[in-house]
Amino acid sequence: MNWLKQLLSRRRMYGDLTEEIRGHLEEKTEELVSGGMPRREAEAAARREFGNVSLTREDSREVWRWTQVENFLLDVRYGLRTLIANPGFSLVAMLTLALGIGANTAIFSVVYAALIRPLPYAQPAQLLTLGEVRLQEAPTSPSDTRNWNASYPDFLDWQRQSKSFQALAGFSGDGFTLRGAGEPELVVGAQATVNFFSTLGVKPFIGRDFVTGEDIAKGPKVAILTYNSWVSRFGSDPHILGRTIQLDDNSVSIIGVLPREFEFAPRGNAELWVPLHIEKGLVSRRSLRWMPVIGRLAPSVTAQQARAELGSINAGLAAAYPKENGAIQVMIFPLRDRIVGQVQPLLLILFGAVGFVLLIACANVTNLFLVRTAGRRREFSIRMALGAGRGRLIAQLLVESMMLAIAGGAVGLLLAEWGTSLLISAIPQALLDFTPFLRDAHANLAVLSFLGAAVILTGIGFGLAPALQVSKGREGEALKEEGRVSGSGMRTRLRGILVVAEIAFSLVLLIGSTLMVRSLTALLNHDPGFDTQNLLVFGVNLPSTAYPKDPDAIRFDREFSERLRNLPGIAGVTSNSVVPLQGSGNTIRFLIEGQPEETGQENECNIRDISNNYFSVMKIPLHAGRLFDDAADTEKAPPHVIVNDAWVKQYSPGTNPLGRRVKFTYSPTQPYREIVGIVGNTAEAGLDAADEPSLFLPFAQDANSFIPYIVRTSSNPANMVNTVRQVLRGQDPQLVMIQPITMDQIIAQSPSVFLRRYPSYLIGSFAALALILAMVGLYGLISYTVTQRTRELGIRMALGAQQYDVMRLVLGEGARLTLTGVVLGLAAALAFTQLMRSLLFGVRAIDPATFVLVALLLAFVAIVSCYLPARRAMRTDPATALRYE
Amino acid sequence: MKSHEQRDLFPGALEMMILRTLRQQPLHGYALAQHIKRNSNDLLQIEEGSLYPALQRLLKEELVKAEWGISSTNRRVRIYKVTAAGAKHLEREVSRFERMLEGINRVLARGEL
Repeated sequence: MNWLKQLLSRRRMYGDLTEEIRGHLEEKTEELVSGGMPRREAEAAARREFGNVSLTREDSREVWRWTQVENFLLDVRYGLRTLIANPGFSLVAMLTLALGIGANTAIFSVVYAALIRPLPYAQPAQLLTLGEVRLQEAPTSPSDTRNWNASYPDFLDWQRQSKSFQALAGFSGDGFTLRGAGEPELVVGAQATVNFFSTLGVKPFIGRDFVTGEDIAKGPKVAILTYNSWVSRFGSDPHILGRTIQLDDNSVSIIGVLPREFEFAPRGNAELWVPLHIEKGLVSRRSLRWMPVIGRLAPSVTAQQARAELGSINAGLAAAYPKENGAIQVMIFPLRDRIVGQVQPLLLILFGAVGFVLLIACANVTNLFLVRTAGRRREFSIRMALGAGRGRLIAQLLVESMMLAIAGGAVGLLLAEWGTSLLISAIPQALLDFTPFLRDAHANLAVLSFLGAAVILTGIGFGLAPALQVSKGREGEALKEEGRVSGSGMRTRLRGILVVAEIAFSLVLLIGSTLMVRSLTALLNHDPGFDTQNLLVFGVNLPSTAYPKDPDAIRFDREFSERLRNLPGIAGVTSNSVVPLQGSGNTIRFLIEGQPEETGQENECNIRDISNNYFSVMKIPLHAGRLFDDAADTEKAPPHVIVNDAWVKQYSPGTNPLGRRVKFTYSPTQPYREIVGIVGNTAEAGLDAADEPSLFLPFAQDANSFIPYIVRTSSNPANMVNTVRQVLRGQDPQLVMIQPITMDQIIAQSPSVFLRRYPSYLIGSFAALALILAMVGLYGLISYTVTQRTRELGIRMALGAQQYDVMRLVLGEGARLTLTGVVLGLAAALAFTQLMRSLLFGVRAIDPATFVLVALLLAFVAIVSCYLPARRAMRTDPATALRYE
Repeated sequence: MKSHEQRDLFPGALEMMILRTLRQQPLHGYALAQHIKRNSNDLLQIEEGSLYPALQRLLKEELVKAEWGISSTNRRVRIYKVTAAGAKHLEREVSRFERMLEGINRVLARGEL
């Protein structure tokens, strides 16, 4: 507490000191006077002997001061005064920084939530995802992990044989008609092996986990609710445990509720979890790969070791089951890849883009700062002449820049919070369900640290250049009237470099956003192979109690379609087991009659069960043969298939496939089916997906209990939802219209469109911001040099230079800067657009047209922003200019 | 600022001499200045003022303490006294100084050969 006492008694101490020094001088004088010296002389001598009184006092006081802290506080007070004295400058600088820092922080909080934050499971580094991939479908990007599955028998063999994993668990999607909690309603669920939650290290927050023996039943008997569904659907019922609900035809009792923070992105929209319940076929069929698998590594086992072990287990399985496993490879990747694979490249590109914005903001504020520092040179010279060290001046400027950066950071934090929620609210719900981690994006410790680092770096970044320049100046030189030196060397050169950098950065952003917009346009104009106008899509699930057999489903379908078709406003009703653009999947292995059969190497393609009128309702062109029709393709009729162009291209190139026959290999009793027609391709997984070979079967010959309907309406399909629901209820009150959605909505919400639209808007606004900042920077620099060179221009004009020459002189300088910036920017864009290749569609990363057009546009805007100061220069009146100063 | 560099013969020398003088008898600033000048036979030209920052440093480190009192010439003065810590500090500094001096002497003596 000593320092505190000293601090408090300082004022007295200073008083003592002053009195003591005065006493000293008096005593000396007295002594000299009594020695015979005249008083006036004695006083002077005493002072001479003593030395500089005020310096002594200063030095003595300084002993008691925390010089650095107090100087710093002084600088802060002074800086504050200076900043307030220049409100325009301060406001512009602060807002520029706030935009840069805020945008970066917003993007960073999303990046952190998705890519950096540890997954919310126990020891997440041990968690991996596993899948079986056919050799010919080797993965190309981490996002492929989302489609990796394993067959149940193989999963059991892995569990039995592997030593590298503490646990292996599987999960899958599910959906039920829920009764017992309000109106019957379809709920999205998920099913999992009983060890699924324990593998993740998640415990229900009330109730218990699944236990051994609860899975592989005919239907689920128990269920665990997610926190949200417990709250919203069951009103946070405290006696929820043991409560019975009806899922489809099963009475299921609720055994637990998951903690509020539980999330599992691959099944992000699941409201409840039930133990794995699958039909016999799936339990025993080794060739049917449908279950995503996760694993937790045993302690001190590496992913590499696990990969090696699974490799040898897989080799054993391939030897034992050559037909099913001969061409299979086991892939193991971190669980995080499965969870964030799809958004990873998008986020990294956004992060890079927003980083450029911050750089440009910094460059701009540096420029502002340089100009202002130039205006304050006399102030600094005077301070130096009065004895301020260079260190003190640098410290002063850094304190000022830091204060601006901190103010910018504070406003930036508000912008970031707002921006983050904006970023997230712009994500369609359907996608947000599968990226639940993004909901976690907000200002947390990591984000605040990032913000702090950004503030410090920018503060130093734009404060250092002016500070160093000030300290370079010689004491006397700047005291002289400024402005005589034209174009004062260093400083203008530095400002030129900054403006060039700004132009280059904004060109990169402009090119990047143009490529994104062009991809988006190309995507939206991409023909999906069918008419997407006025289509309403929904599903109907037929419970097996009321519709036990295929003919029941076929009868329902016929009656329901008939009723709908007769309604006004409905132009057509059809169905397809997998609706185009809603995701791919559902494949089948087949052999083509007459082609050599290789073990485990059968062909695999999409299989679709369709209503006979599917192609005509969807307006998919028939290219050869015939379509299905109700007369020829009935339940009992000889089996026929239709194939698409992609199928012909891959499996029957150069030959006419009509009349050839294919056989599915999952069962030996499968008949040969004759190819009767060839139709155009449709986009399956998304607008950007490659054409997939597909086989089409008539619904009557391959009925399902879950039927996705597609209804073509004559006006806005969203208005028909209620009418259709009434028809469905009218036919069977227990049936639910599952997830009605229009095709336009499917497209708008699809990842392929979203992944382009989102960055198009974001990078686009970043680029616009960057362009404005860069142009302001260029304009500022040219105006500044024009002002600086007024005298020179006046002389030139007095010596006979024409207005045109002056204009050319000024514009020439702007053009030189712009050209340099454009050339550098083009070079940088060549490198950076490569990184966004995975997001582009229908346009190449190095698209000459885009590069040239955007560069020309930027150059044009740049010249325009130089034109205004150039015109002012041109109007310089030589007489006034020479009298200037 | 530059005056700092010329304040002492070497850093700490002035403080050492102040402590040494004050250990013989408590003195006020002016008397202290006269004492040091006289005892160095005027070999050391010290600005009298430079005593005060040095005294403040010693005060801050609690090597000396100061009290207002009346001098022999009947003035109100601040009289400085060495504290126990100050005495210990002086001993340490003197022995360090002597070792340094001895070292310098040896080097200089060898240089003469």
